[in-house]
Amino acid sequence: MSTGENSHHMATAERGTRKRRVGKASKNKKSKTLPPSSARFKVTMKNQKLFQKRARDYNSDEDEEEDEEKKQPEVTIREKIFSDANMGPNYDEIEEDEDEDDEEEGSDNEEEIQSGITKFASDGGCNAFKIAFKAIMKKTKEDDTLDPILSGRKPLIAKQLAEEEAEFKAKSQARKAKHLVAEKGHVKPGSYLDSREKILIGVATKGVVKLFNAVNKAQHAQKGLNPSRSKDAKVLKKRRKEAFFTELGKTSKTDTKVQKSSTSNEDDAPAWAPLRDNYMLANPKLKDWDKKQDTSEGDNFAAMSGDESYED
Amino acid sequence: MARFKNNKKKGRVIVKPIAKKNQANVDHVTGDKIPKSFVFSRMKLPGSVKQLQMDLRKLMLPYTALNLKEKKRNTLRDFLNVSGPMGVTHFLMLSKTASSLSLRVARTPQGPTLTFKIHQYSLASDIAQSQLRPRCPQDLFQSPPLIVLSGFGSQELHLKLATIMFQNIFPAIDINTVKLSTCQRLVLLNYNKDTKLIDFRHYSIRLQPVGVSRRIRKFVQNHKVPDLRNLQDVSDFVTKAGYGSESEGDEEAATVTLSSDLGRANRGSTKSAVKLQEIGPRMTMQLVKVEEGLCSGGIIFSEYENVDGKKEKEKKKQNEDGEAEEEEDSEDEGEEGSAEEDGEDMDEDFED
Repeated sequence: MSTGENSHHMATAERGTRKRRVGKASKNKKSKTLPPSSARFKVTMKNQKLFQKRARDYNSDEDEEEDEEKKQPEVTIREKIFSDANMGPNYDEIEEDEDEDDEEEGSDNEEEIQSGITKFASDGGCNAFKIAFKAIMKKTKEDDTLDPILSGRKPLIAKQLAEEEAEFKAKSQARKAKHLVAEKGHVKPGSYLDSREKILIGVATKGVVKLFNAVNKAQHAQKGLNPSRSKDAKVLKKRRKEAFFTELGKTSKTDTKVQKSSTSNEDDAPAWAPLRDNYMLANPKLKDWDKKQDTSEGDNFAAMSGDESYED
Repeated sequence: MARFKNNKKKGRVIVKPIAKKNQANVDHVTGDKIPKSFVFSRMKLPGSVKQLQMDLRKLMLPYTALNLKEKKRNTLRDFLNVSGPMGVTHFLMLSKTASSLSLRVARTPQGPTLTFKIHQYSLASDIAQSQLRPRCPQDLFQSPPLIVLSGFGSQELHLKLATIMFQNIFPAIDINTVKLSTCQRLVLLNYNKDTKLIDFRHYSIRLQPVGVSRRIRKFVQNHKVPDLRNLQDVSDFVTKAGYGSESEGDEEAATVTLSSDLGRANRGSTKSAVKLQEIGPRMTMQLVKVEEGLCSGGIIFSEYENVDGKKEKEKKKQNEDGEAEEEEDSEDEGEEGSAEEDGEDMDEDFED
């Protein structure tokens, strides 16, 4: 252990006392020389500058490190470690800067600083601190993302991280499975129209065309007739009925059905009771409902087939 | 007292008044009762299904409650109680289990209830995304859609019932008084006999004049000053064909002659082509069950029937004095043994 090293450590450790010392120095100066007000002012300005600079240095460690490395190309391994740990050299440098400033001010300050250090080093009371500091410095820092100070807990943290990851994996898998269940049957159509869709569109178009033609026919016939006049209304009624029946006859050939007017609800209503629109509404008493059904089932089917051709 | 308390506690369905207040229960022209509907679910749905529910509500517009708020504790009875005064005639209920998604279409207040299993579905937004130019005019949802049922014309009674149910879910159209401008949308239900699946599609209807070049049509529709910089003469604008040649050959069947003017471009007594564009939602579903009552009562028809199921049903029949068609049992017997569980699941859902 060399004294230079030691003084380094001491200087770094002296963080708390340094400030006080500077203040003391200025006080000393004031008390000793009692300069004119302008000089005092100058000194305070300087002090201010010094404080500012120190604050700046303290805040921007990294820049300074670089500066420092430029300034002092020869540094021991220890010092490198220091610089890595962002501790020692900064303060060292501040100390030096301070020293320079102080030198500008006067020589007595410098003496005081050195005496302070020597006092501190020779005291021997800080031996415990020294040992502790050395112990810390002996520990080699590993290149790892984990916190170097908490390196003792590293395996624990790693374990925790791994656990978290596994948990996240399991959760995401569960989420995926859930999503899969939720999205079951959901199909996103392609940008092209496949043949099936084209057929469906064709069917739908046929239906629309049929309806529109029927509507046009019906509405063309009643052009010029005013439905509000009773005479015209009668004619309209007759015509409508005829037109509707002819239209029904035509549509029976194809399998496309378009919902049409409900003018002939009674004709359209199927014979089988549940198929009727007013099923179970007309007669709420359904005690002998199944009986009826049983007896007239065969007939119903015959009637149904008749209806079928009619409606389709 | 206790009962009173319970009644008070029970959550009521929050319903905003259906569309406008002046909306009558009866069509003012034809005097028919207008069917109205609720689309809801009594469970927490995953996001996409919730969106499907919203799409279905939009589809059922204007005679539906678009902002119907349901709570978890709302029972079917709550909805039923509200439906009476509101004149709601149909319920559409979505339910989601781990295995399947199902849609129940019920007639209120006394049934019957059709249960559809939704095999596949696409949301309106998916469909809009798949299209180059999604179309949504302002008045699209202001009038009820037309419904086209195709392929249902078989002898099977449950299909017949489905036909009638869907025909009555939208207001009837009187061809003598209907205005074609209100026919903006179309719901297509196409039954496939082989797969027993029903394709549910929702289209918007657009009429375009036939025999008019694209330029002229756009000019008339948009009412903007056309760009004539590259033309030598004004007549070129009319005579020169646009780049997009129209494939009118295959659209012979898709033309209609209008009796009156429709919009700006379609004049009366000229030919117009009917163009359909899908707006979604799109569903592929299968009719799995028909019940007598509103989500209860005897089962008239069930798709998933095997021998055991039949026995169970017979027991049920004896208990409830309900009755079901024997013919249909024999038709669909022993078809899907493995799918039995699904049917059972749904049974549980219905009880409340």
